[in-house]
Amino acid sequence: MSPVRSAGLAESINATLADLLEQDPRLLLLGEDIGRLGGVFRVTRGLRERFGEDRVRDSLLAESTIVGQAVGMAMSGLVPVCEIQFDGFTYPAVNQLVTQAARIGGRWNGQVSPSLVVRIPTGGGFRGVEHHSESNEALFARYPNISVACPSTGEDAEQILRYAVTLGSPVVMYEPIRLYWQRNLPARDPGPARTPTAARIVRRGTDLTIATFGAVTHEVLEAAHALSPDVDVEVVDLRWVAPLDMDTVLESVARTGRLLIVHEASKDVGIGAEIAASVAEHGFGSLRGPVRRLAPDRRVYPPADFEKDYLTVGVQEIKDEVLVMTE
Amino acid sequence: MLVARAVDEEAHRLQKQGALDLWPSCQGQEAAQVGSALAVGPAPAVFPSYREHAVALLRGVAPDELFAQWAGRTFCGWDPRRLRFFPYTLVLAAQTLHGVGYSIGQRLQGLEDFVVVYVGDGATSEGDMSEAMNLAAVESASVLFVCQNNGWAISKPAEEQMRTSVAVRARGFGIESVRVAGQDPETVFSACSRAAAHIREERAPYLVEIQVGRIQGHTTSDAQEVYRSRDDLTKTRAADPVIAYAARLSDLGVVDAAWLDAVDTEVRELCERLQKEYA
Repeated sequence: MSPVRSAGLAESINATLADLLEQDPRLLLLGEDIGRLGGVFRVTRGLRERFGEDRVRDSLLAESTIVGQAVGMAMSGLVPVCEIQFDGFTYPAVNQLVTQAARIGGRWNGQVSPSLVVRIPTGGGFRGVEHHSESNEALFARYPNISVACPSTGEDAEQILRYAVTLGSPVVMYEPIRLYWQRNLPARDPGPARTPTAARIVRRGTDLTIATFGAVTHEVLEAAHALSPDVDVEVVDLRWVAPLDMDTVLESVARTGRLLIVHEASKDVGIGAEIAASVAEHGFGSLRGPVRRLAPDRRVYPPADFEKDYLTVGVQEIKDEVLVMTE
Repeated sequence: MLVARAVDEEAHRLQKQGALDLWPSCQGQEAAQVGSALAVGPAPAVFPSYREHAVALLRGVAPDELFAQWAGRTFCGWDPRRLRFFPYTLVLAAQTLHGVGYSIGQRLQGLEDFVVVYVGDGATSEGDMSEAMNLAAVESASVLFVCQNNGWAISKPAEEQMRTSVAVRARGFGIESVRVAGQDPETVFSACSRAAAHIREERAPYLVEIQVGRIQGHTTSDAQEVYRSRDDLTKTRAADPVIAYAARLSDLGVVDAAWLDAVDTEVRELCERLQKEYA
C-alpha cells in the first residue's frame, strides 16, 4: 500500500491547542521557550502572539517548577497544559507529578480534580544528543491516577488532548519527535476508536496481532503491508499505555491466536511485559504460540552514531519476528 | 495557644495508646503559628507543611478533623476549600511551588492572590523551596513564606544545614525578608503584619523566618534524646512560649485565674471528646 499524506503531528497539536485556548478561558500553556520561540519543535508557534503571554507562558528552565506551579494553578481552577522540552529532562518533574499531581485529587477528597496535561516530546532516531532520545512512558504507567497517552498520528493526538483537558486527573502525552514533521505515513484503516481512551485497530488481519504504540506504529504498519498477502497481520495501535485497553488486545488475540508486542522503549519491565502478562492471564486459551516482544535491550540510549544498533525495532526486524512466529 | 498545646498533648496520649499512628508535634511553635495566622487574617489560602496545627485550629479545623489523617482514616480530615487551609503536604517543600502557582492562577483570574506558605528549616534544603522562591520573585507573586526554624531537620542541626539564615537566602532571590524570635506571638504578629502589608502594597513576595524551639521530637517516632543534649532540651522547655505568654498576660492583668480556669475546663472537655472518639 502506498504512503498517505497527512498533516504532521506538530501541526495538528498546534491547531488543537489553539482551538482549546479559544474555547476555554481557563486553559493555559506553560513550558520552556514555548512562547517567543514557539517551542524547540515549534509546536506552539504563533500561540503567544495570538493568546498573549499570560496564557502562553515561557516558564523558567526548571521542570519541577513547571509541574509544581501547574498543580497550584489547577487548584485555583485553571487547566494547565505543560510542555517538557525533551523526554530526558522529565525527571526533575517526576516528584511533582507522582507525589503531588497524581495524588491531590484523593488528598482533597475530590474537591480538586486537576485537569493537568504534560506534553513530552519522545523517542529517538533523529541523531539526538544525550538525554534527547528516550522513551520513559513506562515510568509513569506504573503510577495510579496518571494516564499516559502515546499517539502515533496528529488525529489521535487531537482526540487525546481534547479528552485530557476534561479528564480531571493528570495526563502525560508522549509525542514522537520523529513524527512532528513527517507527512508521508503508511496507510491505516480509517475506522474510529470506540472511545477517546480505546486502542485502535489500524490494520485488520487474521494470522497474528501486533500491539504497539507511538512512532514505531508506522514501522509495524509498513512491515504488515510488506508481509501481505503471505501473512495477514492485525495491528493494534494502543494509543494509551495507562490505562491499557486490554479488551481490544484480547479480542484481537482471540481472532488471530498470536501476539507480538513492539515498542521503542527498552524491553525489561516494560509495557510489553504488562500486555504479555495480561494475555497470559486472560487470553491463554486463544494462543497458538508464545507471546513475544520486540524491543531494545535494557541499556542506555547510545550516541547518535550507534542508535541504529539500539533501535532494533525497524521494518526488517519486525518482519523477521513475524515470520519466526508464523512459520 | 493553650488550646493548640492541649490538643497536641492529647495527640501524644492517643499515639501512646495506639489510637494515632504518628503525630508531628507543634509544641514550641505555637507563638509563631498563632501570631502569623492572626496577622494575615482569614482571607489568604494557607499551604501548610504538616505541623501547623495551631494555624489549622485558628482556621476552624476541628481537633477531631485534625487527628483523622494521623489515625489513618483519610489523607485530609477537613474541608480545605471552605477553610482555605489546604491539606498537609508530607513531601518536603512540594507545597511551596503549589502556593506560588496558586497565587499566579488566582491573579490571572482576578481573584484573591495572597497566599501563605509554611515550611520548616529542614525543607528549605529541598530544590523546590529554592525554585519556589525564585518563581515567586520573578513573577512578583503575592506569597508570604513563613519559615519556622526550629533548629533541627529531624537530627541535623540548623548550623549544619545552612551557612546563612533562610531570611538572608531569600534576599538572594530578590525577596524581602525578616528574621524574628518566635517566643512571643505579638512580635511574630507585628512582623507578619508588616510582611502582609508589604505583599498587598507591592504585590511581591516576602519571607518571614521565625526562630522557634522544638520541645518534642520531630514526630512521635523520633527519640530526640539520642542526639540532643539534656541541657539543650532543658533550655528549650524553659523557653516554652505557651507558658511564657500565659504568665505575661497574667502579670499584665489581661487575663485572670478565672479566665485561665475557663480555658482549662474547655480543653479538658475537648480532650475527653477526643478520647471518646479515638481511644
